Amino acid sequence: MRFLPLYISLLLLTACYQTESTLTDSLIYCADKSPTSLNPQISHDIASLDATTHQLYNRLVKIELISKRFVADIATHWVINEDKTRYTFFLRKDINFHHTDYFTPSRPLNADDVIFSFKRMLSKKHPFHFVNGEADNYRYNHPFSSLVQDIIKIDDHTITFLLNKPDATLLANLAAHYGVIHSQEYALQLLKTGHPEKIDYFPIGTGPYQFKQKNKQIIRYQAHKFPWQAPVTINNLIFDITPNSTKRYAKLLSGECDIITNPASSQIKQISKNKSVLLSSQPTGNISLLSFNTKSSPFDKKEVRHALSEAINLDTILDAVFFETAVATNNLLPKHSWAYNPRTKKTTFSPQQSMTKLKVINFDFNKNIRIIAPIKNSIFNPNFYKTAELIQSNWADIGIKSEIILLRESELHNTLLTGDYDIYLTGSSPYIKDPDNLFRPLLSCNANSFEGNSSQWCDETMQNLLDATLLETNFIQRVKNYYQLQEMIQAQRIYLPIAHLLRFDVFNKNISGLLVDPLTGIDFQAVRKVLPINKVKAH
Amino acid sequence: MFNYLLRRIYLLSITAFILTLLAFTIEHWTVHTQIDDNTFSHYFSYLNSIIKGDFGVSIIDNQPIFNTGLVAFSSTLELCFFAFIIAIIIGMPLGIFAGLDRNNGVDYTIMTIALIGLALPVFWVAIIFTILPHALGITLPIDGNISPIYEIPVVTGLLLIDSLLVTERYQLDAFLNHLTHLILPSTVLALFLTSEIIRLTRHAITMVMKSNYIKAAHTKGLTRWQIVYRHVLKNALPPIIHQIRLQLSTIISFAMAIEIVFSYQGAGMWLFASIHQGDYLVLSAALLIISGFILISSIIIDFILVLISPSKRKSLYADQ
Repeated sequence: MRFLPLYISLLLLTACYQTESTLTDSLIYCADKSPTSLNPQISHDIASLDATTHQLYNRLVKIELISKRFVADIATHWVINEDKTRYTFFLRKDINFHHTDYFTPSRPLNADDVIFSFKRMLSKKHPFHFVNGEADNYRYNHPFSSLVQDIIKIDDHTITFLLNKPDATLLANLAAHYGVIHSQEYALQLLKTGHPEKIDYFPIGTGPYQFKQKNKQIIRYQAHKFPWQAPVTINNLIFDITPNSTKRYAKLLSGECDIITNPASSQIKQISKNKSVLLSSQPTGNISLLSFNTKSSPFDKKEVRHALSEAINLDTILDAVFFETAVATNNLLPKHSWAYNPRTKKTTFSPQQSMTKLKVINFDFNKNIRIIAPIKNSIFNPNFYKTAELIQSNWADIGIKSEIILLRESELHNTLLTGDYDIYLTGSSPYIKDPDNLFRPLLSCNANSFEGNSSQWCDETMQNLLDATLLETNFIQRVKNYYQLQEMIQAQRIYLPIAHLLRFDVFNKNISGLLVDPLTGIDFQAVRKVLPINKVKAH
Repeated sequence: MFNYLLRRIYLLSITAFILTLLAFTIEHWTVHTQIDDNTFSHYFSYLNSIIKGDFGVSIIDNQPIFNTGLVAFSSTLELCFFAFIIAIIIGMPLGIFAGLDRNNGVDYTIMTIALIGLALPVFWVAIIFTILPHALGITLPIDGNISPIYEIPVVTGLLLIDSLLVTERYQLDAFLNHLTHLILPSTVLALFLTSEIIRLTRHAITMVMKSNYIKAAHTKGLTRWQIVYRHVLKNALPPIIHQIRLQLSTIISFAMAIEIVFSYQGAGMWLFASIHQGDYLVLSAALLIISGFILISSIIIDFILVLISPSKRKSLYADQ
């Protein structure tokens, strides 16, 4: 019994326990997934973007989150020639690369670094083009190879992008996550040592934080030792990979995480009620949708597509599957896009009307509709199977038979390429803010079903409109063209948009200045951490 | 004494041989790639490498499996050690109370609590304990061994010691942080252990209390507490230690399950993560490390028993 006080004193250790939230120069961000690499040129998943784009690197230009305008980053300014095919960028002269244990730069950033970074994606002759095997990735080589003819060094701090043809999306592409600038000097050092693959795993950039160490569960960054931007207040930035969403939230509450990402959709309501934490939600542009295989009968008829869409109760799907992590939509473009057409007609849930329409067009009610979906849930849908079941039940109410087929990635790949399906539950995730980036993969005759065109859609008028809008440099005309395109999509009902997804991050109240760009990832540069209110008096 | 040691080591080597066969079978069937070798020569080359401490390299992080395994297992031992201390501090006195006043109210109350402790599934209790601190308004860490803010280089593999070696940089913060991370998982493990120790202590005390020498002590006029201190405790201890030795593997298995719930980076978490990522070579290494520890520690416990209990010395000559 005399030992009991010992045990009680052990419990009293909690009084000495300094939670991580009291250390104001360290910040722990609890992410759900580990990045696949530390270079956003080759890794495009959101976990990799969160861990890299804003933390480790800079781009020539960036998009200001509030005004949505292009602003200078590494470039001080840029000029465009009259026929819009030459973009000349003037670089800052005071940009230092990271000084780490594995690399000490001898010079600041110059034009060679910019050319090195973009040519890696553009040129097959580049010594790093095939390094780490991403050369076949659509996003690795596609955006710039179809856009940029050449990049020319004018002097050490001036470069010119020569375009194949006038293209309004160059700046958006340069501000995208893959427009980051690497150090050519570091790359040459790696080539000499015979380990070029390290460029993507032991990164050197110019961003506010520099890489320190990574293991299975932890990634450590420290503040850039010679920053060219305003120095950050957080010296130790730590990414703690916690795959379980409930545990992430519990760790936030116990002070083991300062910020968590992607809380469970079922917990959003409860988190929003918790007064000790703040919930940030951002529209992402990611859309969950249902595509009709327009090459397969009877889905080649737009009347069938319309009638089947009207029989689906999207509100129930939103409530039962997405909870509050997505917003209802009737348009492929999110509302915050500059090209969003507010006049597009809403699909109303009217099963009786749908049945009548189907009877009028002699729809074969004995047909068994095959709904395919990925077996693994993704950012597009927290529960593909449940969504498919709800659609199946809606259709069964008006006498339509259907079967759900869940497929693994390789099976899905084959099925999509062979076109052996009726309905496909999927999504689309644009990587730059330009609407062309959403519409082209979904509608272009050149895009295959695996690249996004899962409706197998090909229409000359739409293709011409898409191409013309891409070349169009008059902004008002571009907006008009996209309005027209959205009306055409609605009229044809090629896709049934289910919901636009939101990105959620939860953080403690002593954190401020957190910026989240749904396209390029989270940004800790302006983050400040103060002592929690209850600890201020104690110190 | 020497004979006794020899006998024990002989028994140990036979068991170790069987264990290496098991570990080899796992290694041979899951990851073996040398198709040209015959199984026999492969076994000897495997035996040769494990004697040198070479268990291969992990496919996940390219680190030697043996080193990672030892560091992970020492974390598990830290957890077990703490749980033991907590369990002994709470369980022993309660067991003594229950044993001294057998079949009365105190005994029934203590035994009911002990029985509930034994009946609860350990992983379920662990999950409840991850929620409990927040519900009670206490701030306690629920994940990992130490906050990632502290960078502790591996020197001894025991985080309690390693965190004390970095006091220049972090003062005692890292050490205290590790201690607080130990509270919840070791309390869960102690819950099971305490129940076990209460039961064992109660039984041992009851047995000793029935002995003639206790009756003699009574007639000598010693008070009850004098009897307990001088005679009962000393004689009740050997069977308790002996029983706990038998429970060692159960305790380690429970600790490993608890580790997974609390993401405590010990042998359980190491095995779980490795199997999850397809690194099956770890299986055979873990089998050898864990069972090797249990074998060696049971011999050491036997030895201690011999030292503290004269009656056990009979087993020196394998009479009993």
